Amino acid sequence: MSVDVRERRGEGAEAARSRGALIGQSPRRLEDARLLTGRGLFVDDVQRPDMLHAAVVRSPHAHARIQGIDVSAALALPGVVAVYTAADLGHLNGPFSVLIPHDDLQHGRGLSALAVEKVRHVGEAVALVVASDRYIAEDAADMVAVEYEPLPAAVGLEAAVAPDAPLVHDGVPSNVAGHYVRNVGDYEAVRRQAHLILKERFRVDRGAASPMETRGVVAIPEGRGLTMYVSTQAPVALRAWLAAWFDLPEMELRLIAPDVGGGFGPKVMMMYPEEVLVPFAAMRLKRPVKWIEDRREHFVATTHEREQVHDVEVVVGADGTLLGLKTNFLYDSGAYSPYGIQIPIISATTLPGPYRLRNYSVEFRAVYTNTPTVAVYRGAGRPHGVFVMERMMDRIAEALGLAPMEVRRRNFIQPDQFPWDTGLIYQDWAPCKYDSGDYPALADRLERMLVGVADEVAQARAAGRLVGVGMGFYVEGAGPGPYEGVRVRVEPSGKVQVATGVGTQGQSHFTTLAQVVAGELGVALDQVHVVTGDTAAMGWGIGTFASRAAVLVGNAAYLAAQAVAEKARTVAAALLECTPSEVELRGGRAWVGGPAGAGEPAGAGGSAPAGARETVRSLPLGEVARRANPLRGTLAFGEPGLEATKFFSPQQSTFPSGAHAAVVEVDRGTGFAKVLRYFVVHDCGTMINPMVVEGQIHGGVAQGLGGALLEKLVFDEEGQLLTTTFADYLLPLATDIPAIETDHITTTSPLNPLGIKGAGEAGVIPCHAVVAAALEDALREWQVRISEMPINPCRIWELMQR
Amino acid sequence: MQVAGEFVFQAGRDAVWQLLNDPEVLGRCLPGCEQLVPVAEDRYAAKVRVGLAAVKGTYEGSLAVTDKQAPAAMTLRIDMKGTTGFVAIAGRMLFEAGEPDAPAGGEGGVASTRVAYDWDVKVGGPVAMVGQRVLGGVAKWIIGEFFAAAKAELAARGSAV
Amino acid sequence: MISFTVNGRPAAVAVPDAKPLLDTLRDDLGLTGAKECCGKGECGSCTVLMDGEPVCACLVFTAQARGVEIITVEGIGGGPEQLDPIQAAFVAEGAAQCGYCTPGFIVAARALLDKNPHPTAAEIRRGLAGNLCRCTGYQKILQAVAKAAEGRAD
Repeated sequence: MSVDVRERRGEGAEAARSRGALIGQSPRRLEDARLLTGRGLFVDDVQRPDMLHAAVVRSPHAHARIQGIDVSAALALPGVVAVYTAADLGHLNGPFSVLIPHDDLQHGRGLSALAVEKVRHVGEAVALVVASDRYIAEDAADMVAVEYEPLPAAVGLEAAVAPDAPLVHDGVPSNVAGHYVRNVGDYEAVRRQAHLILKERFRVDRGAASPMETRGVVAIPEGRGLTMYVSTQAPVALRAWLAAWFDLPEMELRLIAPDVGGGFGPKVMMMYPEEVLVPFAAMRLKRPVKWIEDRREHFVATTHEREQVHDVEVVVGADGTLLGLKTNFLYDSGAYSPYGIQIPIISATTLPGPYRLRNYSVEFRAVYTNTPTVAVYRGAGRPHGVFVMERMMDRIAEALGLAPMEVRRRNFIQPDQFPWDTGLIYQDWAPCKYDSGDYPALADRLERMLVGVADEVAQARAAGRLVGVGMGFYVEGAGPGPYEGVRVRVEPSGKVQVATGVGTQGQSHFTTLAQVVAGELGVALDQVHVVTGDTAAMGWGIGTFASRAAVLVGNAAYLAAQAVAEKARTVAAALLECTPSEVELRGGRAWVGGPAGAGEPAGAGGSAPAGARETVRSLPLGEVARRANPLRGTLAFGEPGLEATKFFSPQQSTFPSGAHAAVVEVDRGTGFAKVLRYFVVHDCGTMINPMVVEGQIHGGVAQGLGGALLEKLVFDEEGQLLTTTFADYLLPLATDIPAIETDHITTTSPLNPLGIKGAGEAGVIPCHAVVAAALEDALREWQVRISEMPINPCRIWELMQR
Repeated sequence: MQVAGEFVFQAGRDAVWQLLNDPEVLGRCLPGCEQLVPVAEDRYAAKVRVGLAAVKGTYEGSLAVTDKQAPAAMTLRIDMKGTTGFVAIAGRMLFEAGEPDAPAGGEGGVASTRVAYDWDVKVGGPVAMVGQRVLGGVAKWIIGEFFAAAKAELAARGSAV
Repeated sequence: MISFTVNGRPAAVAVPDAKPLLDTLRDDLGLTGAKECCGKGECGSCTVLMDGEPVCACLVFTAQARGVEIITVEGIGGGPEQLDPIQAAFVAEGAAQCGYCTPGFIVAARALLDKNPHPTAAEIRRGLAGNLCRCTGYQKILQAVAKAAEGRAD
C-alpha cells in the first residue's frame, strides 16, 4: 500500500504530522489479546446467578388484526415468571417518537414495544415471556395463544403504491410516508437542448446487515437503579431516551455497550421494542433479565435496508458531458419509519458523485409496506445513488462509443473546484458541499492498478472464458455532526484514561483513539486506556455510524489531549521552574532543558541519559497529575488534576471518495459469478491507522460483493420472509472474496483539525455498480443489461438464455 | 404457493365423490390426522400431527367444504394453526369422469374418475421461514399419501361390496 | 453427571443429555469464548475441538461429549500474556475486528494447521470456509493463518 499525501488545505495534514508520529502508523491493536483468547465481554457473556430469560412472541402474519391474546397456558408452565402484553405496559408501550423527523416526512410512524390492535409485519413483537431459563421462555412463547384476523398485506414497492393497495397505517393515503422533491438548476430547460437522452429503470432489492452477533439486552437492577448491557451502536443516546421514557434520573440508569459483535447500522436504531421490554420486566420483577435475539428472529426483528426503484433519465452533450439528470424513485420504509427519510435523502444527495452535475431533478416517495422496518445498513442509501449514476456513466460511454473512464474524466469536478457545492442539503441538515478531493488522481491510480488487466481479460476471453471488467466512482458524505466528546485524564500512575460516549463494534477505537492521545501526551501507547460505550464513563455522545467515529471522536480526542498536554506543561513548568513552552512531553515524562528531541530516554520511565546537560530535568507525567490534585492546600492550577473534556462539532459532513474496479468471471454452465480481482483506490483524508482503514475497506467490499451477488431477502406475496437462515441468505465465505488490492491518496479535510474524512462505509458503496458493469462486460455476447441488484446465479443464467 | 395436480381413481364419479365427502374417510386418509369432528354441515374441527423436517408440530383448526356441485366440483378450505405457525389451504377440486377402459375381454370397461386439484397454500410464521425449501416437497408428499390412502379405501369398499 | 475433559481439566456437569454443548460450556462451565451466532451450524462461531476435530458446539448434545477431550478457544495458547502462534499472527495482521467470530476462527485454524501444518493458500481458504466473518472480508485472517503456518512470529 502506498500513500500519497496531497494537502489541499494544509492545516489538517500539518496537525497530523506535527503531533506525535503515532498518527499514520499501524501499531497492533490493544483490544486483540482478550478478543483472540475468548475473554471479550459481549452482552450474552454477561451472567448473573438469579438471571431470568426472556423470549418474544412474534407475529406470524404480515398484516392482521389482533382479536385476543390468551396467556394462561404460558403462565401455567412451570418456570414461567411473567407474560406481558401491551396492556401491561400501559403508556410505556409507545408508540415511540420518530428519531429523525423531517418536513418531507408527512406521515412518520414510530415503533411500539408490543403490537396493539394490529400487527404490520411478520416478526412484530406481540408479547414478552419471562422465565427461569431460555428453553422454558421459548416453550412458553409458543403457548401464548394470539387470535389473529389476517388482513391483505401491502408487499412490494410498486404494489404498495397501487390505487387498490391495502393500507399499512390508517390515515396514510397510498402508503406514502414522505414525499420529497428537489431541483438544482433547470433540468427541463437543459433537456430541450439535449444531444442525447437516455432512460433506464434501476432496482436494488432488500438486504440485511447480519452482524455475527445478533441484538441482545440485559437489564440488572442494582442499587437504586438499573444497569443495562445492550448490543447497541448508540449507548449514550439510548440511555437518554430510556431514562426519559421510564422517568428515571440518568444517574440511575447506567447503560453499557460492551464488546459489540458487529453493528453495520441496524444497531444504531433505537428504541427497539426489546430495549424497553427487558428493563421494564427487570424493574417489575426486581431481578436481572436477559434477552438474546436468535438468528431467525434477527431476520425479522432487526431492521433491513436497500430496497429502491429508480426511474432515471440523463441528458448528455455530444462530447459526453452530463448536462442533467432526473430521477424519480420509490423507497421501501417497511412497516414503520423510525429513521424517517434519512436513507432516501442520502441516496438523493449521493447520486451526483464526483461529477459536475448542474441540472438535477430528484423526487422520491417513501412507502410503507407490511415488511420489517427499514433503517440504515452500511452505506445507508449511498450504494443506490452510486449504482444509478455509475450505470448511467457506462450507458453514456456505450452510446457515444467512448471508454468508460473517458466519460468519467470528462465530467469530473476538478481539484481546483473545491469546495464544490452540489446545491443540495445533506442528511445532516447542512449543505452537501464537498470539502476536498482529487478525482482525476483517483482515476490515475486506478488506471495504474489496472495495467495488464486488459491483457489478462483478453487472454481469458480468447480461451473461451466469460471474463469482464467494471469500474465505479463515488463520493460519500461522512462524519456528520452534531458532535462527539472525549474526556482525557492522566491518572497518578501515569496511565491515561480516554472516555468517549460512542460504542465500538470492531472499529479498533481502543487503538486508534489511543494513538491520537498518546502522541499528544508523549506516552507509550499501552499506557492509554480507552473506554467506549459506558454512560458511567462518558454521558454525552451520539453514536457510531455514518463513518463518523474517527472524524468526530478522533478530533475530540485530539482537542482534549491537547488541552491536557497544555495543562501538564503549565503544572510541570511551575514544578520544574521554567516556562510552559520549555516543557516537552515524551517518554511518559515532562522534560525541561536540552534541545528538543535530544537525550531521549530509553523507555517510559527512563531518566536523563548520561552526558546530558545538567539543566535537563524531568518529572513523570503521573507525578505532574498528582501535584495538580493535592490533598492539602489550595488548587494552584485551576481545576484539579490533568483532565479535559472536549467536544468536536463540525459545520458539515466530510466527503471521502474512491474508485473501485473488479474482474468478474461468469460460469457458462451455471451462471455463477466469481470475482477474480478487486481494486480499490481510496481517499479518506488523514488515516490514523492505515491497517485499520484497510480492514474497514476489506470488510466493506466483502459486504458489497455479498450484496451484489449473493444476499437477497425474499418475501412471498403474503409478506412472509423466506430467507431466515444463512443457508438461504448467503453471506460471502472465505472462498467467495478475492484478495482486495488497495491504494490510497490523501486529500485532507479542511473541516477538522486532523484532516480526517471517515472510512467506515467506503468499501461497500460502489460494489453494486462495479459488479454490474463487470458482469455486462463478461456477458457481452448476450448484450445483457444489468439494472438490478443483487443478481444471483439463477438470474444471470436466465439472462444468458435470451 | 400454488399446489396443483391430479389423481385418477379407478371408480365412477359418484363413488369418488362420496368417498371424498365422507368425514370418516377424510380423517383416516389425511396423514397424521388425529381428530376430525363435525361442527356444522361440511365443516369440521381438525387436529393434525405432522412430523416432516421443519414442518414438524401439531396443528389445530378447521376443514370446510363449500361451493359443492355434486358430483363435479367442490372447494376445500383448511385453516390450521400450530406452535410453529399457520397453514391455510384453499382451492377447487374438479371431478371428471374418464372414458371407460376398452376391456380386452369384451365385458363393460372399468370406470375412472380424474380428480384435479388446484390449491393455494399459505404458510406463515417460523414454519414458513425455516421450512420454505422443503415445503413444496412436504405438500406433495401429504397430498400423495392422502390420495393413495383414499384409493386404498376405495379398493377396500369395492371388495366389501 | 456427564464427564469430559475441557482444556486439559476434568469437568462434570449435571445437565440434560440434549442440552447443546455450546450452552453447557457457556452457562455451566463459564467458558464464554465460543459464541452463538446462528444456532444451526451455519457460521462456525461456536467451533470447539472434540478429540481434535472441529465441531459446531451448537449442534452437539452434551451427552455426546461424554469422555471426550474438548478444547475451546480459552485452551488455545496460554491466555492474553502467552498467545498461540495463530493468535499472535492474528494480532500482527490485524485479522480481528469486532472479535465475535474470532474464537471460532482461532479454533478452526488450529485444527487446520494441526492436520496440515503447511497448507496452500487455497487449502487455507477451504479450511476456513465453514466460518463466517462479517467484518474483515477474510483477507487478513487468511494472511494471519498463512503467517502462522510459516512459523513467522511477527
